[in-house]
Amino acid sequence: MLAYAARRLLLSAGLVWVVASLVFLVIHLIPGDPAELLLSQGGIAPDPAAVDELRHRLGLNLPLWEQYASYMGALLRGDFGLSLLDEHPIADEIALRLPRTLELIIAAALISLAFGMPLGVAAALQAGGLLDRLLSGAAALALSIPVFVVGTLAVLVLAQELKLVSAGGYVPFARDPGRHIVLLLMPAGTIAVGLGAVVFRVMRSSVLEVLERDHVRAAQARGLSAAGIIRRHVVRNALTPVVTVVALHLGTLLGGTVLVEFVFNWPGLSGYLVRAVEARDYPEVMGIVLVISTLFVLLNFVVDLLYAVIDPRVRHA
Amino acid sequence: MNGLRLRSLAVPGLLAAAILLLALAAPMLPLADPVRQDVARRLAGPSAAHLLGQDEYGRDVLSRILWGARVSLAVAFTATALAATLGTALGILGGYFRGVIELLTVRAAEIVLCFPPLLLALLVVTLMGPGTGTLIFSLAILFTPGFARVAYAETLSVRALDYVTAQQALGAPTRRILARTLLPNIAPPLIVQFSLTVASAMVLESGLSFLGLGVVPPSPSWGLMIRGARTTMEQAPLLLLWPCLALAGAVLVLNLLCDRLRDVLDPRGRSTGSPGFLRKLAALPPAPVESVPLLRVEGLTLQVKGRHGSVTLVRDAGFSVGRGETVAVVGESGSGKTLTVLAVMGLLPAAVVPVAGRILFTGRDGHVRDLLRLPEAQMRALRGRDLAMVFQDPSSSLNPLLRIGDQVAESLRAHGAKSSESVVPLLRQVGLPDPERQAQAYPHEVSGGQRQRAMIAAAIANHPRLLLADEPTTALDVTVQAQILSLLTDLKRAEGGMGMVFVTHNLAVVSDIADRVVVMYAGEVVEEGPVADVFAAPRHPYTAALLASVPEGGAERLAAIRGTVPQPLDMPAGCRFAPRCERAIEICREVAPALVEVSLVRRSRCVRWKELV
Repeated sequence: MLAYAARRLLLSAGLVWVVASLVFLVIHLIPGDPAELLLSQGGIAPDPAAVDELRHRLGLNLPLWEQYASYMGALLRGDFGLSLLDEHPIADEIALRLPRTLELIIAAALISLAFGMPLGVAAALQAGGLLDRLLSGAAALALSIPVFVVGTLAVLVLAQELKLVSAGGYVPFARDPGRHIVLLLMPAGTIAVGLGAVVFRVMRSSVLEVLERDHVRAAQARGLSAAGIIRRHVVRNALTPVVTVVALHLGTLLGGTVLVEFVFNWPGLSGYLVRAVEARDYPEVMGIVLVISTLFVLLNFVVDLLYAVIDPRVRHA
Repeated sequence: MNGLRLRSLAVPGLLAAAILLLALAAPMLPLADPVRQDVARRLAGPSAAHLLGQDEYGRDVLSRILWGARVSLAVAFTATALAATLGTALGILGGYFRGVIELLTVRAAEIVLCFPPLLLALLVVTLMGPGTGTLIFSLAILFTPGFARVAYAETLSVRALDYVTAQQALGAPTRRILARTLLPNIAPPLIVQFSLTVASAMVLESGLSFLGLGVVPPSPSWGLMIRGARTTMEQAPLLLLWPCLALAGAVLVLNLLCDRLRDVLDPRGRSTGSPGFLRKLAALPPAPVESVPLLRVEGLTLQVKGRHGSVTLVRDAGFSVGRGETVAVVGESGSGKTLTVLAVMGLLPAAVVPVAGRILFTGRDGHVRDLLRLPEAQMRALRGRDLAMVFQDPSSSLNPLLRIGDQVAESLRAHGAKSSESVVPLLRQVGLPDPERQAQAYPHEVSGGQRQRAMIAAAIANHPRLLLADEPTTALDVTVQAQILSLLTDLKRAEGGMGMVFVTHNLAVVSDIADRVVVMYAGEVVEEGPVADVFAAPRHPYTAALLASVPEGGAERLAAIRGTVPQPLDMPAGCRFAPRCERAIEICREVAPALVEVSLVRRSRCVRWKELV
């Protein structure tokens, strides 16, 4: 188990290095001078002196390998550089906003699993029945509504028409735990509409497949109750595809909360990214992309470990 | 059947075509100019001139929705087409040539998957600036690896097929093999991937436009419209609803089309029917219950309900097992022997229903029950306690995720045991070496023979009165088979009055293990009697033919039975063995024979049994 984890971790570290190098290369290999691009506003050619000054500040006048070495060195120290706009350390801003985004994603995943898994099992056990058809239809609908549409409509109905909650925002947990959770539930619930439908679908088809396996019939021949069989011999065996799919979607969400954070004014990492993209603040964009991609790789590492926890056969592979 | 599936495509197909047509026809329809502003009438409600009202700049909403469909679909289709072309080419090259080329094509494309998709799109927007061109480019990059992966996987499976190898052997140019032979064969999953991708592309496009990083105003786009209507939500909530409905509706139609396409093109993944263990009691007419020594199966008839009526799988099967007796049920695959045993356990697959017969069983409390009519709750109390079963393949019959000891302990706990301390003695009893350690092992850590020993331990945990063994040695090595057989014989001796039903297609083991034998053919019992008598003088031509086909001692040659077992849908009208029988006469083909008593202890289903001496 330990050897397995170590091997996976090493592989993940290698991937992070590849991603960091790629981000560096993409920024430096695009045609055009980033400094010039940055300073040119509305088609007016920028002041050459200002461009030169910026090139110096960004180290763009150095040879490529030297830039790469200092970039990697800074990364290892956890230094992402300064924002071009306000000279604020990028690492600080990321450290402030990343936990909020992670909180949102984790809350959304928990809600999705809490609803999707039991409903998926229930639908599979009555495959073809009324409950199954109702739930499957609802899932198809939920999967078809883009997340920002769900969010916008939720704001329209819940906040504006029914006046149940405020339209969005953020209050630190320490200041007002109750309000914090209400404000968290809106965006998290919005993400969970689609994600829960995905969990439901995967769980349903996975359970249907496991139910056909021989060991379920063998367990039944031992006299186990239906509930015992579902708990011990069906649900756990059906989990592997659910873990895969949820992890895949969580990874997508790492960059994909942009829309939900925007709709609900949630001051997470994604809002920061959109601002950086709009301002073409290269160091900021690079830093955020790198952090998210690293998390993405780490998430895949955690998933590999989860497989090993669920299935003993993986540990020995 | 195929026509039926195609018809299921009609509704989503027509809707998708309608959306496409409306988008294409937008310039020809009598619509207001989608970008002409009329600030004086901003946020005006529906009117004759503007059916869905006017937006925050006084532009016509209906017109913007239809023109928006044009933009959305154009972006989605162009990006998907680009991704499909590039990705399929990469996937086919990688899958066909493998090696370095695979690394350069498929694996290179997969680097894109290191980034969360929306993040990558934003990165591209940062570098290239927002706009329709950027949008198409970034979406195409995002979706290329998906196509590459599908094409790669399909190419791998197709390229080894005979007709591809045949073309290579004939010296066809590689380019032609790829384009003419390979591509058409991997097309179906690619078509599914295409429609899936168009839907995702529309969602991403509208999302980016919603953020203000996609389609540039004043071009109409659903994402942009939602963005605009959000700001005026308080004054005109309906404005928000229309583009939301349009977007969700279009994606829903595409998704539906996709689901149906997948069903039509790739019917493998479809599973129907409810799970077997939520068994419903078959509706059977009541039958009297009389005392039996241990088990008596009588007139058991099993059917499967299909689209074209019912098909009978087992007809009028019957045999009995006394206390301490071993009965072997023999027959070829498809003779119904396994179904008969599963019926005794009440574990028939959901699609198979008993329609007639009785299964009388005397439990350890001395009560006689009809297992065919016993409610599930009472049946469950018997399973694993009075009745136990060992299955054919121990590898698939053990749950790979649970320790062996825990699975054996299930038998004990399901019937009231509080502790599982007798697991280790049980494992020792079935001859597992080092039982303390094996109890902690997972099924994949022990050999096939040891797995079957564990299955047997779980079956005998509660000292059952009847053990049903369904080909318990078929999946094992020949040397291990003998060990398992002798284990079963020893256990039967140790367990006193335990009866056993031993299902096998291997006649050679029958005389070693069984007292009596039941021969089944095409869903019927054709002969039954003491092993020694039946083997010495078979009273049914099928038994005789089976015995002749067993390689024994100095047999000069094997006598194969000519012909094949008839299919359940296509049973002969008379004797089911008649088409293969060398002794068949006219009457055999016309009248189905009954099982007749040959002697006090023997029965046969042959009308000419007297002549078979």
